[in-house]
Amino acid sequence: MTSTITGANLRKAVASLIIAFIGVAAVIGGFGYGFIEDGRIAAGFLPVLVGGAMALFALLDVVGSLRNSEKESTLLETVHIEAAETLEPVAEPESDLDIYGRSGKQRDRMLLMVIGIILATVLLVPVLGFVVAFALMLVVIAVVVERRRLLPSILVSAIALAAAYGIFVLFLRVPLPTGILGI
Amino acid sequence: MWENLMLGFSTALTVENLLWCFVGVLVGTVIGLMPGLGSTTGVAILIPLTLGMEPVTALIMLAGIYYGAQYGGTITSVLISTPGEAASVVTTLDGYQMARNGRAGAALAIAAIGSFIAAIISLALLMALAPPFAQFALNFGPVENLAIMILGLITVVSFAGGSMRKGLMMAAAGLLISTVGVASGFSDARFTFGNVNLLGGIPFVEVMIGLFALGEVLHQIRVGAAAPIKARFKDMVISRKELTKSGPSIIRGSFIGFLLGCLPGAGSTLASFMSYGIEKRLSKNKENFGKGAIEGVASPESANNAAANANFVPTLALGIPGGGTTAVLLGAFTIYGLQPGPLLFEQQPTLVWGLLVSFFIGNVMLLVLNLPLAPVFAQMLRIPYAYLYPIIVLTSLIGAYSVSNNMFSVWLVVIFGIIGFFMKELDLPIAPLVLGLVLGPLFEKSLVQTSALGQGNFGILFQSPIAVSILIFALLLAVGPTIIGGIRRSQRNKSKGLTHV
Repeated sequence: MTSTITGANLRKAVASLIIAFIGVAAVIGGFGYGFIEDGRIAAGFLPVLVGGAMALFALLDVVGSLRNSEKESTLLETVHIEAAETLEPVAEPESDLDIYGRSGKQRDRMLLMVIGIILATVLLVPVLGFVVAFALMLVVIAVVVERRRLLPSILVSAIALAAAYGIFVLFLRVPLPTGILGI
Repeated sequence: MWENLMLGFSTALTVENLLWCFVGVLVGTVIGLMPGLGSTTGVAILIPLTLGMEPVTALIMLAGIYYGAQYGGTITSVLISTPGEAASVVTTLDGYQMARNGRAGAALAIAAIGSFIAAIISLALLMALAPPFAQFALNFGPVENLAIMILGLITVVSFAGGSMRKGLMMAAAGLLISTVGVASGFSDARFTFGNVNLLGGIPFVEVMIGLFALGEVLHQIRVGAAAPIKARFKDMVISRKELTKSGPSIIRGSFIGFLLGCLPGAGSTLASFMSYGIEKRLSKNKENFGKGAIEGVASPESANNAAANANFVPTLALGIPGGGTTAVLLGAFTIYGLQPGPLLFEQQPTLVWGLLVSFFIGNVMLLVLNLPLAPVFAQMLRIPYAYLYPIIVLTSLIGAYSVSNNMFSVWLVVIFGIIGFFMKELDLPIAPLVLGLVLGPLFEKSLVQTSALGQGNFGILFQSPIAVSILIFALLLAVGPTIIGGIRRSQRNKSKGLTHV
């Protein structure tokens, strides 16, 4: 019997391998804080215990992913059977396009852009201030990423920002960081 | 009991609490039907808003969001076949088919009625069972508490879906994150890498907002949007025959939901699947299931609502969250300086009974809101997600900042948002991580106390009959279904073999 490793399973195996490394690092770090001292557990006991467990289960997952043996949690599996029988007839053919006609690749690009814009926004907060940086974020996402018209985008962004400002700054008195413009 | 109920009513019926309860259920319904938002996300994002409130008022509002979102989640399950939460997955089977057959209104109506009846039954049971349960739990020492936490972790892993090893890996990851900073009882700063912001540990609210709100937004961008089906006011009429047919399903769903919801770490998902399975088995017209059977909506909806309420039994009585959202609520308790657990019923009766009675009031509000207004709420599905998700990002990040007025919190949300996105992409369950993170400090405290009691010997765990019973139960939950599953599989294989012969 042969089985091929799918790209998705390979990605899962790599992720689990990284988690296993973090677990091993936690065990090493944990021993540095002490494991048992004077017959009592020390500060490193829990990190060693859970780091070790994390590494063990992650390695088991690496093996499972590479063997393509993705098994469901057995407790859920026992009750899923009835529902799964019903699920099959209603399953519809999957399309790569969403309701706006965007393909999976386009959505991946959008995702990367949104992550980039969020990171840039947080980096710009000390320079431009919270309000200005986030105002820019709202408009840029709507206009550049989502290709919405400029005027409605500005309007929706202004309303959202005003509501957030009203609740957090005026009502809850949260001192949002200001920037070079003084706001 | 009556005295406590009166105390609860006098607390919940103040103008301020009624108002915030209404705000909670209304916002909860809207949150439940918005793509990319669920009750856990909603509660996590809105905790910062409640920091200036009285704890009882804040919890009434946050709990309102929780059960309000259950109602809202049904609307998306029925109209766009997109369950807001795992517990609503089963509703899509028959609910969406009913909507496609032009019966969306009837599906939404029976879901609202079923949820309401289930809520009332489960709340009566919750009020009757939680106090004696808490009274019993007062006998628990560190050893029994440790056993309870192990049970909680095992059950959440078993019920979270996905593979067992992934669940255990994530529970361990949550516990590991909870060890960052200076733990009580120790002087060492662990895994802070010289960053003073980490001395107090990785804050709970920021992690929740990141994993649930930002992570979900990023996931939704990748998945893409689905087109909603229209629901009209005139469709909301439900016939007497349909009501009679659904009655027993609602009652059965309510009790199944309550029983499963009581397990620490277990939740609504299993309850809805199990009630659907039982209903299908008992039904005279099995062939209609999956094609728009009204019992296929009534039963799981009743079950998941009953389980949502029953989740409060372990949360309030033991301090062990029943599910993802109650884990976040448990975090909120600690932010308000309250320690959930058996002592809460003795030390904070006004808060506990006020909160429980507010569930009744909130569910009445939800029925009144949802029966006639479900089509109005459904219109919100027409708001383009393109405008919605930047607002969710803004609210998440500004909310995180407001917790400690620190940009470090904002960075944490961004980091955990990206982690949450990858967890979804890689099918890593989030609930065990959350439970591990919430239980981490309590788990370590119990470990330290148990180790001190046994002078370093954890064998003391097996000297307490209560702890042993709890651990055996945990073992059965972890191993039992594997054995049953194995027997079932071998039986299926055998019967297949026979057919071939």
